[in-house]
Amino acid sequence: MQWAIATAAFLASAVEFVEAFTIVLVVGVTINWRSSLLGAFAAAATLAIIVATLGVALVKWVPIKDFQLAVGIILILFGLKWLKKAILRYSGLKALHDEEAIFEETVAEIRARGETVAPRFQPFGVALSYKSVLLEGLEVAFIVITFGSSISTSAAGNGILSAAIGATVAGILVIAAGAIIQAPLSKVPENTLKFIVGIMLTSFGTFWAAEGFGYTWPLSDAFIPILAAIYLLASYILVSWLKQYKRRQLAMASATNASTSTPEQEGVRP
Amino acid sequence: MKAIKAIYNFIVGDMVILVGVIITMLVLALINFVGALSPLRIATGAILVVAVLVVLTATLYREIRG
Repeated sequence: MQWAIATAAFLASAVEFVEAFTIVLVVGVTINWRSSLLGAFAAAATLAIIVATLGVALVKWVPIKDFQLAVGIILILFGLKWLKKAILRYSGLKALHDEEAIFEETVAEIRARGETVAPRFQPFGVALSYKSVLLEGLEVAFIVITFGSSISTSAAGNGILSAAIGATVAGILVIAAGAIIQAPLSKVPENTLKFIVGIMLTSFGTFWAAEGFGYTWPLSDAFIPILAAIYLLASYILVSWLKQYKRRQLAMASATNASTSTPEQEGVRP
Repeated sequence: MKAIKAIYNFIVGDMVILVGVIITMLVLALINFVGALSPLRIATGAILVVAVLVVLTATLYREIRG
């Protein structure tokens, strides 16, 4: 069992499961649970086929160094995308990801289409559930294959198993949590989760991309937490910088408002 | 074209990040495959970490400017 891989896959997959589950929940509540679950199960079956074929092909026929490089680059791209969003949200320049708001918005959209809660299969409900689960599930499959396959040649199979276990546990926990609270999982601090995952993806991506070029890191795999610490510190500095920038912008805006309103105020003075 | 755009949005969705990472990888490829640049190979890891941070800063800077 590769615990680092399993943990990374668990955290990354949990984010995707929360997003997918929100849509499944919306469809179940507003249209019906039959359509919602049919879409979700159909997407899960499609995903299983993709993972079974693509996973094996990737591990068997692609040289590990090339694969590490390709995966490393993709993980850096993924990681930077998530990290950027999380940093912008922490600095207050972007609204926090609000699952409850998404829930309300989607419910309103469905009701605007004239869809109501009905006991029979509704194609729109099935398609909506299928599309969301497939999209988020593809990201989970991607995480499992990339995380699992890139650790080393000998442990690749074990790595995929560890990543799959991490993702499965995340899925079970999210579904169980959703079933218990029966709400759109707004309690999950998604931005924190996304921030941690962004750090992990970027750290793993950096590690593997450099190894793909034949570079050997000092301390080998133990350097990954050091990379994570470097990115964490850099993110903290960036959040502070963006907060300062926002404060300066607000101060400048209020100063501009004050200077433009001064002549008017002077004009009304007796 | 739609498929390419969908893949782009799925993986990165940000041109600064994409171009920055591509340039970084090209530079690292040059360092690692051109004999004259071989003394720099030892710095591959450091160059990559610095480049990733520069790309992150650049995309955040563009975000607050745009």
